[in-house]
Amino acid sequence: MVKLEDLKHEALKALKSGKVKYIIGYADGTDQFKATPVFLKNPEDADKLVWNPSCVHNLTKFIVDEKRRKKREKNPDERAVGIIVKGCDSRAINVLIQEKFINRDDVHILGVSCESTGVVDEKKLAKKLKGKTAHKIEFGADGQFKVTTEEGSLNIPAEEILAERCLECQANFPVVYDVFLGDKDKKTNDTPYKSMQKIEDMSTEERWQFWDEQFSRCIRCYACRSACPMCYCDECVVDSINFAIEPDTTAEEKAHKIKWIDKSPTESENIIYHLVRAMHLAGRCIDCGECERVCPMEIPIRFLNKKLEKDAKELFGYEAGFDPDIPSLVSSFKDEDPEDFIR
Amino acid sequence: MAEEFEPKIVAFLCKWCSSAGSDLAGVSRMEYPPNVVPIQVMCSGSVSPLYILSAFKKGADGVLVSGCHPGDCHYIKGNFYARRRIALVKELLEFIGLDPERFQMSWVSAAEGVKYTEIIKDFVNVLKPMGPQTKLRRSQ
Repeated sequence: MVKLEDLKHEALKALKSGKVKYIIGYADGTDQFKATPVFLKNPEDADKLVWNPSCVHNLTKFIVDEKRRKKREKNPDERAVGIIVKGCDSRAINVLIQEKFINRDDVHILGVSCESTGVVDEKKLAKKLKGKTAHKIEFGADGQFKVTTEEGSLNIPAEEILAERCLECQANFPVVYDVFLGDKDKKTNDTPYKSMQKIEDMSTEERWQFWDEQFSRCIRCYACRSACPMCYCDECVVDSINFAIEPDTTAEEKAHKIKWIDKSPTESENIIYHLVRAMHLAGRCIDCGECERVCPMEIPIRFLNKKLEKDAKELFGYEAGFDPDIPSLVSSFKDEDPEDFIR
Repeated sequence: MAEEFEPKIVAFLCKWCSSAGSDLAGVSRMEYPPNVVPIQVMCSGSVSPLYILSAFKKGADGVLVSGCHPGDCHYIKGNFYARRRIALVKELLEFIGLDPERFQMSWVSAAEGVKYTEIIKDFVNVLKPMGPQTKLRRSQ
């Protein structure tokens, strides 16, 4: 078990020593049971920290933001940033290090284990509680979550309300860290792609029907892009607006600027957007599920990433986020890569 | 009388092998269907997934990516990268329900004019009964 006192103690130690600028962690939110990200700048803030199944966010996105901020500052504070990570989040840090977006010294990682369960899916929980409001959720014993509602507390088996990604998690403890709290109990999981199976089993036409319906709902709010710790390009290929128009940009140049994807949320454009997004995450997505969680239209975006994750593993034996020293999936190749589809 | 459906194929041909291969087919006066729109790229490894999706969006019924045989790449290893990337694109397109036959990849060397014509002939024969590609086409 991760003892909250230990976590607070480690955070306090890091803040007091002055080797970290601030620590990004989780604190109690104002909305029911849900935790919220918090930035701890002073040692006395360390008491705000919490660690419970509602800590769903992948905080590594803030590391990306931090790098941007540092770039803009004149005299940036070069100290490391403390961050609390779960297993999946730590793999995101590994990918960022692998791509040389950040250095290992830029982060002071406080790793926590997921108590061999994971984090909660609030929609599943709401369904389970049938109208009652949860005020608190805690890790319980024997793979159960202790949920406190206005009518008292009850124990719910974790599998019933776990986030989909946690049910398919392969390593529910951090793979990179400076301080580690909890136990490294590797969850055995024989069906890591179970939720996706139902789509793979469909015929081509059925699959199209399914995705067509999903993509047509997309409103192109780009929440998935904003929440993703891997989407850190300064200029995104789908933004056709952000090419520099300078005084000497001619009308012809403007006309010839390639517009890969229109801004309008029409179906054909949505499909291209989602496929491009998935392709850009091939071999990089660490399945933190943030894209799907933040989607206001409840599009199962995670399946696209999961599909490529599966292909990367089965075709090329590549897993994202476990080793920062190997070359990335699409910047490397092996002689024995499959080519049976090529004439 | 209804006209027979003529599929439109966009072919991304690498400059050093496949493009030269198609050129050879041309100068040797080999006959092959005129359904293909060749686009010369510097290397099959430079074909972004976005090119392929864009071609489908703009109304291609089939897309072909063709490069040098493994080991023959002018840039030493560009086609190896392409092989990996295209495999992923192919899997992904299949996953969202595009017919897998609509997207093909081939190795055509500069001497294989005959192979090029055969690939195009076969591709057209596969696409003809399938009818126009409407799934990824831009909504009108």
